Amino acid sequence: MNDYDNIWAHRAKWTYLLLIVFTLMSPVFYVMYISFNLNGFGAAEYIFTWKWYGQIFSDQLMMQALRWTMTLALVTTLIAVPMALLAAKHYKATDKKLLVVFLMLAPLFVAPDILGSALLVFFKNTNGMFKWLGDLWGVDFMDSWFRLGFLTALIGLIIYTIPYSFIVILITMGRYRVEQTEAARDCGASGWRAFWDIEFPQIRAGVFSACSFTVILCFNEYTRTSLLKGGFDTFTTVLVSQMLNEGMSETSYAMSSFVSFVAIALIGGIILYTMIRSESLARIERAKAEPVAA
Amino acid sequence: MTPRVSWGERLTQWAFYLPVIFMLVFFALPMALTVVFSVFERTMFWMEPGFSLKAYENFFFSARLKNFLSSMYYSLIAVAICFVLGFPIAVFLRRSVPQVAQHRVILLFILPFMVSEIIRIFALRPVLQRNGLVNTTLQNLGVIDEPITALIYTHTGVIIGEVLSFLPFIVFSGFLAMEAVPKYIFEACDDLGVGPVQRFRDIILPLAAPGIFAGCVFIFVNGIGVALLPNILGGPGAVNAGLIATQAIAALDFPLAMAVSAIMMVTLMSLLYIGHRIFDLTKILAPIN
Repeated sequence: MNDYDNIWAHRAKWTYLLLIVFTLMSPVFYVMYISFNLNGFGAAEYIFTWKWYGQIFSDQLMMQALRWTMTLALVTTLIAVPMALLAAKHYKATDKKLLVVFLMLAPLFVAPDILGSALLVFFKNTNGMFKWLGDLWGVDFMDSWFRLGFLTALIGLIIYTIPYSFIVILITMGRYRVEQTEAARDCGASGWRAFWDIEFPQIRAGVFSACSFTVILCFNEYTRTSLLKGGFDTFTTVLVSQMLNEGMSETSYAMSSFVSFVAIALIGGIILYTMIRSESLARIERAKAEPVAA
Repeated sequence: MTPRVSWGERLTQWAFYLPVIFMLVFFALPMALTVVFSVFERTMFWMEPGFSLKAYENFFFSARLKNFLSSMYYSLIAVAICFVLGFPIAVFLRRSVPQVAQHRVILLFILPFMVSEIIRIFALRPVLQRNGLVNTTLQNLGVIDEPITALIYTHTGVIIGEVLSFLPFIVFSGFLAMEAVPKYIFEACDDLGVGPVQRFRDIILPLAAPGIFAGCVFIFVNGIGVALLPNILGGPGAVNAGLIATQAIAALDFPLAMAVSAIMMVTLMSLLYIGHRIFDLTKILAPIN
Protein backbone atom coordinates (compact mmCIF):
# COMPACT_ATOMS: atom_id res chain seq x y z
CA MET A 1 0.00 0.00 0.00
CA ASN A 2 1.25 3.48 -0.82
CA ASP A 3 1.77 5.97 2.03
CA TYR A 4 -0.69 8.36 0.45
CA ASP A 5 -3.36 5.68 0.73
CA ASN A 6 -3.05 5.79 4.50
CA ILE A 7 -2.95 9.43 5.50
CA TRP A 8 -2.39 8.64 9.20
CA ALA A 9 0.69 6.52 8.51
CA HIS A 10 2.02 9.34 6.35
CA ARG A 11 1.35 11.92 9.07
CA ALA A 12 2.93 9.68 11.71
CA LYS A 13 6.10 9.45 9.60
CA TRP A 14 6.24 13.24 9.20
CA THR A 15 5.75 13.63 12.96
CA TYR A 16 8.58 11.19 13.60
CA LEU A 17 10.87 13.07 11.19
CA LEU A 18 10.16 16.44 12.80
CA LEU A 19 10.53 14.91 16.27
CA ILE A 20 14.02 13.67 15.37
CA VAL A 21 15.00 17.14 14.07
CA PHE A 22 13.59 18.70 17.23
CA THR A 23 15.45 16.20 19.44
CA LEU A 24 18.70 16.95 17.61
CA MET A 25 18.14 20.66 18.10
CA SER A 26 16.69 20.58 21.62
CA PRO A 27 20.03 20.85 23.49
CA VAL A 28 20.85 23.95 21.44
CA PHE A 29 17.39 25.46 22.02
CA TYR A 30 17.71 24.73 25.75
CA VAL A 31 21.08 26.49 25.87
CA MET A 32 19.53 29.49 24.09
CA TYR A 33 16.70 29.51 26.63
CA ILE A 34 19.16 29.47 29.55
CA SER A 35 21.30 32.19 27.95
CA PHE A 36 18.48 34.72 28.43
CA ASN A 37 17.95 33.87 32.11
CA LEU A 38 19.36 36.39 34.57
CA ASN A 39 19.61 33.63 37.19
CA GLY A 40 21.37 31.15 34.92
CA PHE A 41 20.99 27.37 34.69
CA GLY A 42 18.88 25.49 37.23
CA ALA A 43 17.35 28.58 38.87
CA ALA A 44 13.78 28.33 40.12
CA GLU A 45 12.90 31.79 38.81
CA TYR A 46 13.32 32.78 35.14
CA ILE A 47 14.04 36.48 34.51
CA PHE A 48 14.63 37.49 30.89
CA THR A 49 17.84 39.46 30.27
CA TRP A 50 20.33 40.51 27.57
CA LYS A 51 23.00 40.97 30.24
CA TRP A 52 25.15 37.92 29.35
CA TYR A 53 25.24 38.91 25.68
CA GLY A 54 26.30 42.43 26.68
CA GLN A 55 29.10 40.94 28.75
CA ILE A 56 30.55 38.86 25.91
CA PHE A 57 30.56 41.84 23.55
CA SER A 58 32.32 44.05 26.08
CA ASP A 59 35.00 41.43 26.72
CA GLN A 60 38.18 42.51 24.88
CA LEU A 61 39.63 38.97 24.76
CA MET A 62 36.40 37.73 23.23
CA MET A 63 36.28 40.53 20.66
CA GLN A 64 39.88 39.85 19.67
CA ALA A 65 39.07 36.12 19.33
CA LEU A 66 36.01 37.02 17.24
CA ARG A 67 38.17 39.14 14.91
CA TRP A 68 40.64 36.26 14.45
CA THR A 69 37.77 33.85 13.77
CA MET A 70 36.24 36.17 11.19
CA THR A 71 39.59 36.67 9.47
CA LEU A 72 40.21 32.91 9.40
CA ALA A 73 36.68 32.28 8.10
CA LEU A 74 37.07 34.89 5.36
CA VAL A 75 40.47 33.70 4.14
CA THR A 76 39.41 30.03 4.34
CA THR A 77 36.31 30.78 2.26
CA LEU A 78 38.35 32.72 -0.32
CA ILE A 79 40.70 29.76 -0.74
CA ALA A 80 38.63 26.63 0.00
CA VAL A 81 35.59 27.42 -2.17
CA PRO A 82 37.53 28.19 -5.39
CA MET A 83 39.65 25.09 -4.72
CA ALA A 84 36.51 22.98 -4.27
CA LEU A 85 35.15 24.44 -7.51
CA LEU A 86 38.37 23.56 -9.35
CA ALA A 87 38.29 20.06 -7.81
CA ALA A 88 34.65 19.56 -8.85
CA LYS A 89 35.45 20.63 -12.42
CA HIS A 90 38.51 18.38 -12.42
CA TYR A 91 36.37 15.49 -11.13
CA LYS A 92 33.88 16.00 -13.96
CA ALA A 93 36.62 16.01 -16.60
CA THR A 94 39.05 13.34 -15.37
CA ASP A 95 39.02 9.58 -15.83
CA LYS A 96 40.69 9.12 -12.42
CA LYS A 97 37.53 10.00 -10.51
CA LEU A 98 38.25 7.66 -7.61
CA LEU A 99 41.52 9.40 -6.69
CA VAL A 100 39.96 12.88 -6.82
CA VAL A 101 36.87 11.93 -4.86
CA PHE A 102 38.94 10.01 -2.29
CA LEU A 103 41.30 12.92 -1.67
CA MET A 104 38.50 15.47 -1.48
CA LEU A 105 36.18 13.48 0.80
CA ALA A 106 38.61 11.47 2.94
CA PRO A 107 39.02 14.24 5.59
CA LEU A 108 35.35 13.68 6.46
CA PHE A 109 36.24 10.20 7.68
CA VAL A 110 39.25 11.19 9.77
CA ALA A 111 38.36 12.19 13.33
CA PRO A 112 39.31 15.80 14.17
CA ASP A 113 41.73 14.90 16.97
CA ILE A 114 43.55 12.41 14.77
CA LEU A 115 43.89 14.79 11.82
CA GLY A 116 44.83 17.66 14.14
CA SER A 117 47.55 15.57 15.83
CA ALA A 118 48.93 14.36 12.49
CA LEU A 119 49.06 17.93 11.11
CA LEU A 120 50.60 19.31 14.31
CA VAL A 121 53.51 16.87 14.19
CA PHE A 122 53.85 17.28 10.41
CA PHE A 123 54.07 21.09 10.67
CA LYS A 124 56.50 21.00 13.59
CA ASN A 125 58.75 18.62 11.64
CA THR A 126 58.44 20.64 8.43
CA ASN A 127 59.29 23.81 10.36
CA GLY A 128 62.30 22.03 11.86
CA MET A 129 63.39 20.92 8.40
CA PHE A 130 63.21 24.46 7.00
CA LYS A 131 65.14 25.79 10.00
CA TRP A 132 67.82 23.16 9.43
CA LEU A 133 67.99 24.06 5.72
CA GLY A 134 68.19 27.74 6.66
CA ASP A 135 71.10 27.05 9.01
CA LEU A 136 72.80 24.98 6.31
CA TRP A 137 72.50 27.77 3.74
CA GLY A 138 73.05 30.57 6.22
CA VAL A 139 69.64 32.22 5.67
CA ASP A 140 66.86 32.85 8.18
CA PHE A 141 63.81 33.78 6.10
CA MET A 142 62.56 30.17 6.16
CA ASP A 143 62.61 29.93 9.95
CA SER A 144 58.96 30.91 10.37
CA TRP A 145 57.59 28.76 7.53
CA PHE A 146 55.05 26.36 8.98
CA ARG A 147 55.62 27.60 12.53
CA LEU A 148 52.29 27.07 14.32
CA GLY A 149 50.14 30.14 13.70
CA PHE A 150 47.67 31.63 11.26
CA LEU A 151 48.94 29.72 8.20
CA THR A 152 48.86 26.30 9.85
CA ALA A 153 45.39 26.94 11.35
CA LEU A 154 44.26 28.07 7.89
CA ILE A 155 45.56 24.89 6.23
CA GLY A 156 43.75 22.81 8.88
CA LEU A 157 40.51 24.68 8.20
CA ILE A 158 40.83 24.33 4.42
CA ILE A 159 41.28 20.56 4.77
CA TYR A 160 38.27 20.46 7.10
CA THR A 161 35.92 22.54 4.93
CA ILE A 162 36.88 21.49 1.42
CA PRO A 163 34.87 18.20 1.44
CA TYR A 164 31.64 20.06 2.25
CA SER A 165 32.18 22.70 -0.44
CA PHE A 166 33.20 20.02 -2.94
CA ILE A 167 30.03 17.97 -2.35
CA VAL A 168 27.70 21.00 -2.47
CA ILE A 169 29.25 22.32 -5.70
CA LEU A 170 29.35 18.86 -7.28
CA ILE A 171 25.63 18.36 -6.58
CA THR A 172 24.83 21.72 -8.20
CA MET A 173 27.04 20.90 -11.17
CA GLY A 174 25.12 17.65 -11.65
CA ARG A 175 22.29 19.70 -13.17
CA TYR A 176 24.57 21.55 -15.59
CA ARG A 177 24.78 20.23 -19.15
CA VAL A 178 28.35 20.33 -20.41
CA GLU A 179 27.09 20.72 -24.01
CA GLN A 180 26.39 24.37 -23.16
CA THR A 181 30.09 24.98 -22.55
CA GLU A 182 30.94 23.16 -25.78
CA ALA A 183 28.44 25.35 -27.66
CA ALA A 184 29.96 28.50 -26.13
CA ARG A 185 33.49 27.36 -27.10
CA ASP A 186 32.27 26.61 -30.65
CA CYS A 187 30.94 30.17 -30.81
CA GLY A 188 34.45 31.44 -30.06
CA ALA A 189 34.22 32.09 -26.32
CA SER A 190 37.38 31.53 -24.28
CA GLY A 191 37.38 28.88 -21.55
CA TRP A 192 37.03 31.58 -18.89
CA ARG A 193 34.12 33.39 -20.64
CA ALA A 194 32.32 30.08 -21.22
CA PHE A 195 32.66 29.34 -17.51
CA TRP A 196 31.85 32.81 -16.19
CA ASP A 197 28.96 33.68 -18.54
CA ILE A 198 27.35 30.29 -19.09
CA GLU A 199 28.26 27.81 -16.36
CA PHE A 200 28.75 29.97 -13.27
CA PRO A 201 25.25 31.57 -13.29
CA GLN A 202 23.81 28.04 -13.18
CA ILE A 203 25.97 26.81 -10.32
CA ARG A 204 26.02 30.12 -8.44
CA ALA A 205 23.56 28.90 -5.78
CA GLY A 206 25.85 25.96 -4.99
CA VAL A 207 28.93 28.19 -4.78
CA PHE A 208 27.20 30.64 -2.43
CA SER A 209 25.89 27.77 -0.30
CA ALA A 210 29.45 26.41 -0.13
CA CYS A 211 30.63 29.87 1.02
CA SER A 212 27.98 29.94 3.77
CA PHE A 213 28.82 26.42 4.94
CA THR A 214 32.53 27.26 5.01
CA VAL A 215 31.95 30.36 7.16
CA ILE A 216 29.72 28.41 9.56
CA LEU A 217 32.17 25.52 9.79
CA CYS A 218 35.06 27.91 10.48
CA PHE A 219 33.08 29.56 13.28
CA ASN A 220 32.29 26.15 14.76
CA GLU A 221 35.61 24.39 14.41
CA TYR A 222 37.60 23.80 17.58
CA THR A 223 39.79 20.69 17.70
CA ARG A 224 42.05 21.16 14.67
CA THR A 225 42.30 24.92 15.22
CA SER A 226 43.21 24.57 18.89
CA LEU A 227 46.06 22.22 17.97
CA LEU A 228 47.34 24.26 15.01
CA LYS A 229 46.69 27.91 15.91
CA GLY A 230 49.85 28.68 17.84
CA GLY A 231 49.57 31.89 19.86
CA PHE A 232 46.19 33.42 19.01
CA ASP A 233 42.69 32.51 20.12
CA THR A 234 39.48 31.92 18.20
CA PHE A 235 35.90 32.18 19.41
CA THR A 236 35.51 28.45 20.07
CA THR A 237 38.93 28.02 21.70
CA VAL A 238 38.07 30.78 24.20
CA LEU A 239 34.62 29.27 24.72
CA VAL A 240 35.94 25.74 25.33
CA SER A 241 38.77 26.86 27.60
CA GLN A 242 36.22 28.82 29.67
CA MET A 243 33.90 25.83 29.80
CA LEU A 244 36.68 23.43 30.80
CA ASN A 245 38.24 25.76 33.36
CA GLU A 246 35.20 27.42 34.93
CA GLY A 247 32.36 25.10 33.88
CA MET A 248 29.29 26.35 32.03
CA SER A 249 28.98 29.97 33.14
CA GLU A 250 26.19 32.33 32.07
CA THR A 251 28.47 33.92 29.46
CA SER A 252 29.37 30.45 28.12
CA TYR A 253 25.66 29.88 27.46
CA ALA A 254 25.41 33.28 25.76
CA MET A 255 28.51 32.63 23.63
CA SER A 256 27.26 29.19 22.58
CA SER A 257 23.86 30.66 21.72
CA PHE A 258 25.40 33.51 19.72
CA VAL A 259 27.36 31.08 17.50
CA SER A 260 24.26 28.89 17.12
CA PHE A 261 22.08 31.90 16.19
CA VAL A 262 24.53 32.87 13.44
CA ALA A 263 24.58 29.31 12.04
CA ILE A 264 20.80 28.92 12.19
CA ALA A 265 20.24 32.33 10.58
CA LEU A 266 22.58 31.45 7.70
CA ILE A 267 21.05 27.99 7.11
CA GLY A 268 17.55 29.44 7.53
CA GLY A 269 18.48 32.02 4.89
CA ILE A 270 19.61 29.31 2.50
CA ILE A 271 16.42 27.28 3.05
CA LEU A 272 14.31 30.41 2.48
CA TYR A 273 16.29 31.36 -0.62
CA THR A 274 15.98 27.87 -2.17
CA MET A 275 12.25 27.86 -1.44
CA ILE A 276 11.71 31.28 -3.04
CA ARG A 277 13.93 30.36 -5.99
CA SER A 278 12.20 27.02 -6.64
CA GLU A 279 8.82 28.77 -6.38
CA SER A 280 9.84 31.36 -8.98
CA LEU A 281 11.31 28.64 -11.24
CA ALA A 282 8.05 26.69 -10.93
CA ARG A 283 6.11 29.88 -11.83
CA ILE A 284 8.26 30.37 -14.95
CA GLU A 285 7.77 26.71 -15.94
CA ARG A 286 4.00 27.07 -15.50
CA ALA A 287 3.97 30.28 -17.53
CA LYS A 288 5.91 28.61 -20.33
CA ALA A 289 3.52 25.66 -20.33
CA GLU A 290 0.42 27.86 -20.64
CA PRO A 291 -0.74 28.54 -24.23
CA VAL A 292 -0.31 32.15 -25.35
CA ALA A 293 -3.69 33.92 -25.63
CA ALA A 294 -4.58 35.00 -29.16
CA MET B 1 49.03 19.57 -36.74
CA THR B 2 48.49 20.05 -33.00
CA PRO B 3 47.26 23.60 -32.20
CA ARG B 4 49.65 25.66 -30.10
CA VAL B 5 48.54 25.89 -26.50
CA SER B 6 49.19 29.29 -24.92
CA TRP B 7 50.90 29.66 -21.53
CA GLY B 8 47.66 30.98 -20.07
CA GLU B 9 45.72 27.90 -21.12
CA ARG B 10 48.49 25.60 -19.90
CA LEU B 11 48.43 27.38 -16.54
CA THR B 12 44.64 27.03 -16.38
CA GLN B 13 44.91 23.30 -17.03
CA TRP B 14 47.44 22.99 -14.20
CA ALA B 15 45.16 25.00 -11.89
CA PHE B 16 42.71 22.09 -11.95
CA TYR B 17 45.38 19.90 -10.33
CA LEU B 18 45.94 22.41 -7.52
CA PRO B 19 43.33 20.98 -5.07
CA VAL B 20 44.61 17.44 -5.64
CA ILE B 21 48.21 18.56 -5.04
CA PHE B 22 47.16 20.52 -1.94
CA MET B 23 45.34 17.53 -0.47
CA LEU B 24 48.21 15.19 -1.31
CA VAL B 25 50.75 17.46 0.44
CA PHE B 26 48.71 18.62 3.43
CA PHE B 27 46.36 15.71 4.01
CA ALA B 28 47.58 12.43 2.52
CA LEU B 29 51.27 13.01 3.31
CA PRO B 30 50.79 13.99 7.00
CA MET B 31 48.46 11.03 7.49
CA ALA B 32 50.93 8.63 5.85
CA LEU B 33 53.84 10.10 7.82
CA THR B 34 52.12 9.22 11.11
CA VAL B 35 53.43 5.68 10.51
CA VAL B 36 57.01 7.01 10.19
CA PHE B 37 56.77 9.42 13.15
CA SER B 38 55.26 6.71 15.34
CA VAL B 39 58.54 4.75 15.31
CA PHE B 40 60.69 7.79 16.18
CA GLU B 41 62.44 7.91 19.56
CA ARG B 42 60.71 9.98 22.24
CA THR B 43 62.81 12.79 23.76
CA MET B 44 62.03 15.05 26.71
CA PHE B 45 59.89 17.55 24.77
CA TRP B 46 59.82 16.20 21.22
CA MET B 47 61.10 13.20 19.26
CA GLU B 48 64.11 12.29 17.12
CA PRO B 49 64.57 10.03 14.09
CA GLY B 50 65.15 6.40 14.96
CA PHE B 51 63.34 3.09 15.03
CA SER B 52 61.46 2.19 18.17
CA LEU B 53 58.25 0.26 18.69
CA LYS B 54 57.89 1.68 22.20
CA ALA B 55 54.81 3.71 21.24
CA TYR B 56 53.03 0.63 19.92
CA GLU B 57 54.10 -1.29 23.03
CA ASN B 58 52.61 1.55 25.12
CA PHE B 59 49.39 1.19 23.22
CA PHE B 60 48.97 -2.56 22.81
CA PHE B 61 50.30 -3.69 26.21
CA SER B 62 48.42 -1.29 28.46
CA ALA B 63 44.87 -0.33 29.42
CA ARG B 64 44.79 1.82 26.26
CA LEU B 65 44.05 -1.20 24.07
CA LYS B 66 41.15 -2.23 26.31
CA ASN B 67 39.81 1.34 26.23
CA PHE B 68 40.21 1.48 22.46
CA LEU B 69 38.35 -1.82 21.97
CA SER B 70 35.61 -0.78 24.38
CA SER B 71 35.21 2.55 22.53
CA MET B 72 34.83 0.48 19.33
CA TYR B 73 32.09 -1.54 21.00
CA TYR B 74 30.18 1.56 22.16
CA SER B 75 30.68 3.19 18.80
CA LEU B 76 29.13 0.13 17.12
CA ILE B 77 26.11 0.49 19.41
CA ALA B 78 25.83 4.16 18.36
CA VAL B 79 26.05 3.11 14.68
CA ALA B 80 23.22 0.61 15.19
CA ILE B 81 21.02 3.19 16.97
CA CYS B 82 21.73 5.83 14.31
CA PHE B 83 20.83 3.34 11.58
CA VAL B 84 17.59 2.27 13.24
CA LEU B 85 16.53 5.89 13.91
CA GLY B 86 17.89 7.58 10.79
CA PHE B 87 17.65 5.22 7.85
CA PRO B 88 13.82 4.98 7.86
CA ILE B 89 13.80 8.77 7.43
CA ALA B 90 15.91 8.46 4.28
CA VAL B 91 13.57 5.76 2.93
CA PHE B 92 10.50 7.85 3.78
CA LEU B 93 11.99 10.94 2.10
CA ARG B 94 12.78 9.13 -1.15
CA ARG B 95 9.56 7.14 -1.22
CA SER B 96 6.84 9.46 0.02
CA VAL B 97 8.01 13.07 -0.15
CA PRO B 98 7.66 14.95 -3.48
CA GLN B 99 11.02 15.45 -5.19
CA VAL B 100 10.90 19.26 -4.90
CA ALA B 101 10.51 19.05 -1.13
CA GLN B 102 13.13 16.33 -0.55
CA HIS B 103 16.15 18.65 -0.59
CA ARG B 104 14.44 21.15 1.71
CA VAL B 105 13.79 18.43 4.27
CA ILE B 106 17.43 17.33 4.00
CA LEU B 107 18.42 20.94 4.78
CA LEU B 108 16.52 20.55 8.06
CA PHE B 109 18.99 17.83 9.04
CA ILE B 110 21.90 20.06 8.06
CA LEU B 111 20.65 22.62 10.59
CA PRO B 112 21.73 20.76 13.78
CA PHE B 113 24.88 19.67 12.05
CA MET B 114 25.83 23.28 11.35
CA VAL B 115 25.71 24.19 15.03
CA SER B 116 29.17 23.61 16.47
CA GLU B 117 29.83 20.04 17.56
CA ILE B 118 31.47 21.44 20.71
CA ILE B 119 28.36 23.43 21.58
CA ARG B 120 26.07 20.50 20.87
CA ILE B 121 28.15 18.23 23.09
CA PHE B 122 28.45 20.80 25.89
CA ALA B 123 24.74 21.60 25.53
CA LEU B 124 23.96 18.00 26.43
CA ARG B 125 25.30 18.56 29.94
CA PRO B 126 22.41 20.77 31.15
CA VAL B 127 20.01 18.46 29.31
CA LEU B 128 21.21 15.14 30.70
CA GLN B 129 22.56 15.94 34.14
CA ARG B 130 20.83 15.18 37.45
CA ASN B 131 18.74 18.37 37.53
CA GLY B 132 18.73 18.73 33.74
CA LEU B 133 15.94 19.03 31.21
CA VAL B 134 15.29 15.29 30.76
CA ASN B 135 15.16 14.41 34.46
CA THR B 136 13.12 17.51 35.38
CA THR B 137 10.60 16.83 32.61
CA LEU B 138 10.26 13.15 33.49
CA GLN B 139 9.85 13.99 37.18
CA ASN B 140 7.27 16.69 36.45
CA LEU B 141 5.33 14.22 34.32
CA GLY B 142 5.46 11.70 37.18
CA VAL B 143 7.29 9.12 35.07
CA ILE B 144 10.20 8.84 37.53
CA ASP B 145 10.57 9.61 41.25
CA GLU B 146 14.36 9.86 41.38
CA PRO B 147 16.58 11.46 38.69
CA ILE B 148 18.25 9.00 36.31
CA THR B 149 21.98 9.38 36.93
CA ALA B 150 23.14 7.02 34.18
CA LEU B 151 22.40 9.56 31.44
CA ILE B 152 25.70 11.37 31.80
CA TYR B 153 29.30 10.66 32.91
CA THR B 154 28.79 7.05 31.83
CA HIS B 155 29.17 5.08 28.60
CA THR B 156 25.44 5.70 28.05
CA GLY B 157 26.16 9.44 28.00
CA VAL B 158 28.85 8.90 25.35
CA ILE B 159 26.48 6.82 23.21
CA ILE B 160 23.73 9.48 23.51
CA GLY B 161 26.29 12.12 22.47
CA GLU B 162 27.45 10.05 19.50
CA VAL B 163 23.89 9.41 18.32
CA LEU B 164 22.89 13.08 18.58
CA SER B 165 26.11 14.24 16.94
CA PHE B 166 26.24 11.84 14.01
CA LEU B 167 22.65 10.83 13.27
CA PRO B 168 22.28 13.36 10.41
CA PHE B 169 25.04 11.52 8.53
CA ILE B 170 23.07 8.30 8.25
CA VAL B 171 20.17 10.38 6.91
CA PHE B 172 22.43 12.05 4.28
CA SER B 173 24.18 8.87 3.19
CA GLY B 174 20.90 6.92 3.30
CA PHE B 175 19.26 9.64 1.19
CA LEU B 176 22.04 9.36 -1.43
CA ALA B 177 21.93 5.56 -1.24
CA MET B 178 18.16 5.45 -1.78
CA GLU B 179 18.71 7.05 -5.19
CA ALA B 180 19.63 3.49 -6.25
CA VAL B 181 16.16 2.25 -5.27
CA PRO B 182 13.62 3.49 -7.83
CA LYS B 183 10.13 4.33 -6.62
CA TYR B 184 8.50 1.71 -8.85
CA ILE B 185 10.25 -1.02 -6.84
CA PHE B 186 8.08 -0.07 -3.85
CA GLU B 187 4.99 -0.19 -6.04
CA ALA B 188 5.99 -3.61 -7.42
CA CYS B 189 6.53 -4.87 -3.86
CA ASP B 190 3.12 -3.53 -2.83
CA ASP B 191 1.47 -5.23 -5.82
CA LEU B 192 3.13 -8.52 -4.91
CA GLY B 193 2.19 -8.16 -1.26
CA VAL B 194 5.82 -8.18 -0.05
CA GLY B 195 6.06 -7.22 3.62
CA PRO B 196 8.26 -4.35 4.87
CA VAL B 197 10.84 -6.67 6.48
CA GLN B 198 11.35 -8.78 3.35
CA ARG B 199 11.34 -5.65 1.18
CA PHE B 200 14.04 -4.10 3.33
CA ARG B 201 16.18 -7.26 3.57
CA ASP B 202 15.92 -8.43 -0.05
CA ILE B 203 15.62 -5.21 -2.02
CA ILE B 204 16.52 -1.98 -0.19
CA LEU B 205 19.54 -3.28 1.72
CA PRO B 206 21.41 -4.78 -1.27
CA LEU B 207 20.74 -1.75 -3.48
CA ALA B 208 21.46 0.93 -0.87
CA ALA B 209 24.37 -0.93 0.78
CA PRO B 210 27.24 1.36 -0.44
CA GLY B 211 25.60 4.48 1.05
CA ILE B 212 24.62 2.73 4.26
CA PHE B 213 28.15 1.39 4.65
CA ALA B 214 29.73 4.84 4.10
CA GLY B 215 27.41 6.43 6.66
CA CYS B 216 28.14 3.67 9.19
CA VAL B 217 31.92 3.96 8.70
CA PHE B 218 31.71 7.72 9.21
CA ILE B 219 29.83 7.33 12.51
CA PHE B 220 32.03 4.47 13.70
CA VAL B 221 35.33 6.24 12.96
CA ASN B 222 34.20 9.52 14.49
CA GLY B 223 32.76 7.67 17.48
CA ILE B 224 36.18 6.26 18.30
CA GLY B 225 38.01 9.43 17.27
CA VAL B 226 36.20 12.49 18.67
CA ALA B 227 37.90 13.11 22.02
CA LEU B 228 35.35 15.58 23.36
CA LEU B 229 32.57 12.99 23.56
CA PRO B 230 34.14 10.82 26.31
CA ASN B 231 35.90 13.88 27.74
CA ILE B 232 32.68 15.79 28.39
CA LEU B 233 29.95 13.16 28.58
CA GLY B 234 31.85 10.07 29.68
CA GLY B 235 32.84 8.93 33.12
CA PRO B 236 35.80 6.89 34.34
CA GLY B 237 36.97 4.43 31.69
CA ALA B 238 35.29 6.29 28.84
CA VAL B 239 38.33 6.79 26.65
CA ASN B 240 38.59 6.59 22.88
CA ALA B 241 41.42 6.83 20.35
CA GLY B 242 41.01 10.60 19.93
CA LEU B 243 41.31 11.13 23.67
CA ILE B 244 44.38 8.85 23.87
CA ALA B 245 46.02 10.91 21.09
CA THR B 246 45.25 14.29 22.69
CA GLN B 247 46.34 13.06 26.11
CA ALA B 248 49.59 11.81 24.56
CA ILE B 249 50.18 15.23 22.99
CA ALA B 250 49.46 16.95 26.31
CA ALA B 251 52.02 14.60 27.91
CA LEU B 252 54.46 15.44 25.06
CA ASP B 253 54.50 11.77 24.00
CA PHE B 254 54.34 12.55 20.28
CA PRO B 255 55.31 9.04 19.04
CA LEU B 256 52.36 7.57 20.98
CA ALA B 257 49.99 10.19 19.49
CA MET B 258 51.30 9.28 16.04
CA ALA B 259 50.95 5.55 16.74
CA VAL B 260 47.29 6.08 17.69
CA SER B 261 46.78 8.18 14.53
CA ALA B 262 48.43 5.48 12.43
CA ILE B 263 46.23 2.78 14.01
CA MET B 264 43.15 4.89 13.31
CA MET B 265 44.27 5.48 9.73
CA VAL B 266 44.90 1.78 9.12
CA THR B 267 41.49 0.96 10.65
CA LEU B 268 39.79 3.49 8.39
CA MET B 269 41.65 2.46 5.23
CA SER B 270 40.94 -1.23 5.90
CA LEU B 271 37.24 -0.53 6.42
CA LEU B 272 37.02 1.58 3.27
CA TYR B 273 38.99 -0.99 1.24
CA ILE B 274 36.80 -3.87 2.39
CA GLY B 275 33.68 -1.77 1.81
CA HIS B 276 34.84 -0.78 -1.66
CA ARG B 277 35.64 -4.39 -2.61
CA ILE B 278 32.25 -5.63 -1.43
CA PHE B 279 29.91 -2.74 -2.30
CA ASP B 280 31.81 -0.53 -4.81
CA LEU B 281 31.59 2.74 -2.90
CA THR B 282 31.77 4.85 -6.09
CA LYS B 283 28.10 3.92 -6.62
CA ILE B 284 27.23 6.45 -3.88
CA LEU B 285 28.22 9.26 -6.22
CA ALA B 286 26.26 7.87 -9.17
CA PRO B 287 23.43 10.44 -8.70
CA ILE B 288 25.83 13.36 -9.10
CA ASN B 289 27.97 11.93 -11.91
